[in-house]
Amino acid sequence: MKQTVGLTSTYSSDEFGICSALYELGGMVVMHDASGCNSTYTTHDEPRWYEMDSLIFISAISEMEAVMGDDDKLIRDIIETAERLQPAFIAIVGAPIPYMIGTDLEAIAMIVEAETGIPSFGFPANGMQNYTIGISMALETLTKRFCTEKLPKTERMSVNVLGATPLDFSLNGSIDSIRKWLLEQQMDFNSCFAMGSSLEEIREASKAHVNLVISYGGLKAAKRLEERFGIPYVIGVPFGKSYADQLAWEVHEAVRTKQSRIAFKKVQRKAKKQFVMIGEIVFCTSLATAVELEYPDIDIRVLTPLDTANELLRDGDKRAGEEDDLMRYLNDADGVIADPLYRPLCRQTTFYSMPHIAFSGRIYEKEIPDLINRKLKYREETLC
Amino acid sequence: MLKLAIYGKGGIGKSTTTGNLAAAFASLGKKVIQIGCDPKADSTINLLGGNPVRPVMDYLREFDEEPEEIDQIAKEGFGGVLCIETGGPTPGLGCAGRGIITTFSLLEDLELFETYQPDVVLYDVLGDVVCGGFAAPIREGYANEILIVTSGEKMALYAANNIKTAVENFEDRGYATVKGIILNRRNVENEREKVETFAKESNLEIIADIPRSDEIIRYEDQGMTVIEGDPELSISKTYIDLAKRLLEEE
Repeated sequence: MKQTVGLTSTYSSDEFGICSALYELGGMVVMHDASGCNSTYTTHDEPRWYEMDSLIFISAISEMEAVMGDDDKLIRDIIETAERLQPAFIAIVGAPIPYMIGTDLEAIAMIVEAETGIPSFGFPANGMQNYTIGISMALETLTKRFCTEKLPKTERMSVNVLGATPLDFSLNGSIDSIRKWLLEQQMDFNSCFAMGSSLEEIREASKAHVNLVISYGGLKAAKRLEERFGIPYVIGVPFGKSYADQLAWEVHEAVRTKQSRIAFKKVQRKAKKQFVMIGEIVFCTSLATAVELEYPDIDIRVLTPLDTANELLRDGDKRAGEEDDLMRYLNDADGVIADPLYRPLCRQTTFYSMPHIAFSGRIYEKEIPDLINRKLKYREETLC
Repeated sequence: MLKLAIYGKGGIGKSTTTGNLAAAFASLGKKVIQIGCDPKADSTINLLGGNPVRPVMDYLREFDEEPEEIDQIAKEGFGGVLCIETGGPTPGLGCAGRGIITTFSLLEDLELFETYQPDVVLYDVLGDVVCGGFAAPIREGYANEILIVTSGEKMALYAANNIKTAVENFEDRGYATVKGIILNRRNVENEREKVETFAKESNLEIIADIPRSDEIIRYEDQGMTVIEGDPELSISKTYIDLAKRLLEEE
């Protein structure tokens, strides 16, 4: 059945993708939505909520405000709060109600910016799309609004990492491990969109020689930085040891040739075991390639229920948006690597747990392994 | 690119005016897109010989997925005018205004303007700015200017005033502004004077005065505009003159 989820969970929404991507940058993020359901973000999808302050607000739109299209109250509330808090920027994020009544969030942001002088932007999220679209909108907007100046390149080769949020990478140290891996490869970490970097560091993205796209959400920002500053990008996450080495070579090649590249390819061979992996496309194709390189007896087909571009799908990888589509591939597999909440779909198949915050929230947060630049092992139904 | 939104009271002749204007631009060698923004989906019918294009909402309803090509929801009509209709949800259900916004974002995703590269885009919008969706054609990135169609009838002028007021409310949002009034005559007593009074009070100009014409009805019965039917008619020349003026003042 189309658009029906009977046995598993649903992914985090575009609204939350935007909040997650902008969380650490000192801006004020306003979800224009009724209060209530948005606590899903703070309680389930945002592991930084209790440890790191961020100016995340809900407008708490009422029934009558929706019926009357009363944008003025939202505008007044934002201006009053922003004048008090002086955030670095203001992001007004759409949700199902403003989507249905056609609220023009970009126009509202323009009014707010004219009044406060603070860079403001409206995001046409609707709460019905998945989080990767939200991350993509947020990071692309950051590049448009803040990466405007072409700065001199850093002396040593340096890299921006694009597409980092806890929704895909949790807080298990993966982003720090990517930083260390880059240093090992004689490359400096210029900025990260957007974990562990300040807005000032992001403004200086044009200093970097290359961008590393670690999730689909970072791709539009990478394309914009390439168009604006000629910075090539490489798509891939340095999982495993062999694949991390291969990816490092690809990054150096991108700098040398000034050509962007997708750094995961299907390892062609006849493997004994046919596995399936479910999740975000860049994360999964990188991890699948890493496993295939280290375990010649395993062949992995990636299934993504999320947004992707055709060029990111390797041979045999598929978009599979519905439970029924997924099940068609799972029954014949020798093993399934996915978030534990997918387990009900594959009762007869060996299941390897790979928790994903954007799917199961914080339930399995502590079980998410940091697989960056380390030899991969799979045993007792876990990948570690 | 000249991007115009045509507003006015229901039944005042917006679609007739828009269709003839589109045909007039096309006869001047311009590449034109006409987008009907009305659930009735009848804006472009006289450019298509009476064979309507499938409305976008009908496509979405039928296939339960978004079209991947412009051709699936557009049809070329007289003079190569690319005709698109938003259509609407099943009558009595859903939200027609939201349907317009959804259609617009879909056209953006399909990169309509980038691929088709029109000289002129005309948005023919239902009656009045009744909700957010019906203001969508005048938002930033869509129409630059608005033409209000009215006759000298009281309710038509009332609707015209409502549209003008709605547009004024949006002045801090960077929306389109009103270019002028098209007087579409209904042979009301002192019609010109009545519309002139409204125009003066509103600080607007009457940019075209379209006489009531049996020729329009005759050619519409044959599924065409008067420009297609007989470009030499005086009524056809009125539309062509308006098109020339709008291009000159772009």
